[in-house]
Amino acid sequence: MRLTGKVVVITGAARGIGRASAVACAAEGADLVLLDVCADLPGVPYPLGSAGQLEHTAQLCRDRGASVLTAKADVRDTTSVRDAVALAAERYGRIDAVVNNAGIAAPSGKRVHEITEDEWSLMLDVDLTGAWRLIREVGRMMSDQRSGSIVNIASTAGLVGYRHFAGYVAAKHGLVGLTKAAALDYAPMKVRVNAVCPGNVRDTAEAEGRMLREIARALDVPADEHVAAFTQSQPMNRLVEPDDVAGAVVFLASDDSAQVTGSVLTVDGGFTAH
Amino acid sequence: MFSGARCHALRVRLAGPVRPEALTAPTRLWVEDVPATSTEPLAERRRSVELGRPVGDLRCTLLRYRDGVADLVLVADRGHLDAAGLRAVALALMGGSAVPSTPRSVVSVAAGGVPDWAAALEPVEAGSFELCLLGSEGGTAESWRTALAITLVRYASVDSPGWAVIGTDAGAVRVTPGGPAEPTDEPASVGLLVSDVDFGVNEYRPCLAVPFPLTFSLWRKGDTVRLRCDHQAGRISPAQVEQFTRHLAHVHRQVVANPEVAADDVELLDAAERARVAELGRPAEELRTTPTRIDAAFRAVAARTPDQVAVTDGQVSLTYHELDERSDAVASGLRALGVVEGDRVGVCLERTAELVVTLLGVVKVGAAYVPTDPAYPAERLAYTAQDASLKLVVTRLPEFPGAQAVSPDDIVGAEPVSSTGSPDDPAYVIYTSGSTGRPKGVVVPHRNVIALVDATRDEYRLGSADVWTLFHSSAFDFSVWEIWGCLLTGGRLVVVPYFVSREPERFRDLLAAERVTVLSQTPSAFSQLLDVRHDDLAVRLVVFGGEPLDQRALLPWFDVHPESVCRVVNMFGITETTVHVTHQTVSRADALAGSRSVGPALPGWHLYVVDPRGRLLPSGVPGEIWVGGAGVAAGYLERDDLTAQRFTDDPVLPGRVYHSGDLGRLRPDGALEHLGRIDSQVKVRGFRIELDEIRAVLLEDPDVRTAAVVVRRDDPYDAATARIDAYVVLASGDAVGVRKRAAEILPDYMVPTTVTALESLPLTTNGKLDVAKLPAPSAGRPVEAPVGDDLASRLREVWGSVLGVPVGLDDDFFELGGNSLFAVRIGARMREGGLPALQLRELYRHPTIRSVVSALAVKGNGG
Repeated sequence: MRLTGKVVVITGAARGIGRASAVACAAEGADLVLLDVCADLPGVPYPLGSAGQLEHTAQLCRDRGASVLTAKADVRDTTSVRDAVALAAERYGRIDAVVNNAGIAAPSGKRVHEITEDEWSLMLDVDLTGAWRLIREVGRMMSDQRSGSIVNIASTAGLVGYRHFAGYVAAKHGLVGLTKAAALDYAPMKVRVNAVCPGNVRDTAEAEGRMLREIARALDVPADEHVAAFTQSQPMNRLVEPDDVAGAVVFLASDDSAQVTGSVLTVDGGFTAH
Repeated sequence: MFSGARCHALRVRLAGPVRPEALTAPTRLWVEDVPATSTEPLAERRRSVELGRPVGDLRCTLLRYRDGVADLVLVADRGHLDAAGLRAVALALMGGSAVPSTPRSVVSVAAGGVPDWAAALEPVEAGSFELCLLGSEGGTAESWRTALAITLVRYASVDSPGWAVIGTDAGAVRVTPGGPAEPTDEPASVGLLVSDVDFGVNEYRPCLAVPFPLTFSLWRKGDTVRLRCDHQAGRISPAQVEQFTRHLAHVHRQVVANPEVAADDVELLDAAERARVAELGRPAEELRTTPTRIDAAFRAVAARTPDQVAVTDGQVSLTYHELDERSDAVASGLRALGVVEGDRVGVCLERTAELVVTLLGVVKVGAAYVPTDPAYPAERLAYTAQDASLKLVVTRLPEFPGAQAVSPDDIVGAEPVSSTGSPDDPAYVIYTSGSTGRPKGVVVPHRNVIALVDATRDEYRLGSADVWTLFHSSAFDFSVWEIWGCLLTGGRLVVVPYFVSREPERFRDLLAAERVTVLSQTPSAFSQLLDVRHDDLAVRLVVFGGEPLDQRALLPWFDVHPESVCRVVNMFGITETTVHVTHQTVSRADALAGSRSVGPALPGWHLYVVDPRGRLLPSGVPGEIWVGGAGVAAGYLERDDLTAQRFTDDPVLPGRVYHSGDLGRLRPDGALEHLGRIDSQVKVRGFRIELDEIRAVLLEDPDVRTAAVVVRRDDPYDAATARIDAYVVLASGDAVGVRKRAAEILPDYMVPTTVTALESLPLTTNGKLDVAKLPAPSAGRPVEAPVGDDLASRLREVWGSVLGVPVGLDDDFFELGGNSLFAVRIGARMREGGLPALQLRELYRHPTIRSVVSALAVKGNGG
């Protein structure tokens, strides 16, 4: 097992890539601190993770032998992030890896000049600044430990543009930039920072994901057509599974990637290879 | 963040419910339901992880398993809660009395490197070794500190400054056994955590992360005491850690019995450990040999394969039958010249078939051969003739100083002779020039040579299909191996004339043309062969001897001759123990790792590593190498005192051992690491310098092909003027760059003062590095300072002016280039100066000023 004795903090852990990553880490022997906002946010046009979904993720991890703490945490709120990290430190004494997974795909579907001030702010606050807040809280601890791995879940939208997704694209490009800058800041402290850029991830029943469905809805396209279009755009000719992303997360969290930092690992079936 | 190194942990198996209310806020009880029974691997993993989580103050966790069993795991910073406090919290949670709090300060100590004796080539994970001692062995924090310091000092052996730095929770302490213990800022390689608390059957971890490379801890467990050593991950030998821990316990018993015991009087090893260490120096395989004489063994081979070629010398070939006949004739001729059994016969011939015939003839007549090299200066030949009382020397020199010279052509006899001697009779006397004093004749019996051949025959599959070279001077005992190793196993011996041995291209051509399979070389000579194309050879076995081997230098050989095709063996040897002592097959992996191992002893040979008092040292600890077993020579010719000094009774087995004067250490697997001469350990500006280490660093430089490092003094009697001179043969680049890169790796005091690039390194006639022929790195030598007018000072003046170099009290006349001519001049100058008369003979016996002065004093007193 590649993560035995390691403590991994995951945001947005209630479902989707967060859940898949949590379960994969648990299977590799990690203990987990699972965070989720567990509430709907005003301005986000779809339901976010729930307390029940978070508890279900925790149970899946415990079944795999992990010790798990859960907490409701909103990455837009500094105090909430700080409390969660303090709780993790009290219980586990250290944090070995952080997975900045919390993110929203909508409000989107507009051209740049149509986006409102609030929509723009909300998108950046969650998808970019949220990651920065958690890095700020764990950066000092990991520096003191002289070890640690931060994995930022960005997107192919962090590498290329998508029409009508300016806020999301800007936030994810920002997250890739933050990854590289933080990697340089922390390299002397043996703390690694990397980004994973998933392509189009399937909304699976087990992970209860709904990102793809929400993207389609933001573009006002029937979901089936959208899946077909995205499948064809990925040279491997299938959608990415949440477990595919979780595999990259485990690799970057583990010592297998000991000299990998500041890197961007695409899990997109070859989409950005074009 | 919290430090696992500062924390300790306790696990208690619960018998009843816990009382979380016993905890005072903010400490709370974390409850974990583990989806496994208490005996499943998952439960074990969860316990282990929980016991390893650091904390700032105190953490209490309850692990409940599926089978109803539960563990209470407590982790605390040792500064917040000591061992007694930790136990009290556990008792309180189980329904006992209130929790006492005993905060104290835990000082952080910088961790040092891994001690030499614990170092290994291969990295390991962190681990631990635990020893269960009797309750009566508990001792005190102080007695353990003393015992640890003594054990460390004794383990540091020749490198020990006499004290040890020990890390504790109260800071680092420099402990001098029998002296003070003072706080220090020095980094500690070894730590000690002592708690006098009984944790009963419960699991206690004195530290969660290992604070020092080696961290010792003690606590009570029922009526026993647990001594535990945790080691960090890294290049550490767990076997060495175990051994040290056992020895620490043994030393502690002695410290408790006698708190005033001097560090040097403590016995590191008890009887069982002594037996174990002695066993370690013995090879796994036994020697199967039947003592016989060389001539008898040769006759047996000759009878088996009479028509096989025995010796090739240019166009000349001799079959075994011919060699047998011709050497019979030599034996007969020698008898006719009056040689009888037990005589010594000088042999001073170039490397030729004739040399081989003569050596065999000498042993057949029952005499011992005393080889000298025709290239030696007349003084050295004269010295040998006199010291060995040679009446007869077989040579093609027109005359031989001090003995009757007989040409091989004049050795004719009709009467067949056959020796009636025993295997214990001397076969040869070879002179070794040690680093000090005059050359001494080493007397080696027949049975030793037979044992050497029997010890290697099977392992190296030596047989009639093999073709050997005779590369080395007969005065160098590597030739004993070449000649008898070949002829007693039925091989063909190819004579390498002197001029061919000095020209790598021609030597390579000879190896190829003769299809040589067994090649014996000094590393220096071999490195010259590596410089020429060498891919068309039939060599299946390379045997190194005579010098330390830098295994990295073999990579170019392995590139062309993979291990599956050619076996490469490094043998450490000493003339006094019959050529070889240990053998190590060198693999590409060894060469890449730069292993210093020379391997285990040959079957029949065995090794001890001892301290200056002759006590066995544990593995990993450097000391003098003693060699026992089948190879130990009879002694030094006519040097009873020296023989008694260097050849003593074997401390463990019957027989004698030879004190090599070499520094080495046994590895836990019984392989020997050879660390150089004890008397050649040099100090520069107070630092002990390992010249081999400097050389190794130079060799790692891709620009450097070969290297040599020497220490010289501008003023030989002033240690302060010592400097390190390095010589390199460059593949590319320049010497300045080499020195610059070495300076980035080596500590200041080990950086060569000068690096001089040479075309090639000078070799002696024996094929070893010839230090004397290395040029001065800078022109001119400082002129000798004026001296006083006591006898020693005036002698120094006289010797210095005659020899043209400054002379120290203990400088050897001959090593400074002295010879009989200079000796006569010195006598004349001394007479002129009104100094006592000094006969030539006395100068040979007392070749240093100090010994001359004391000899003259004795003479003066005697009237």
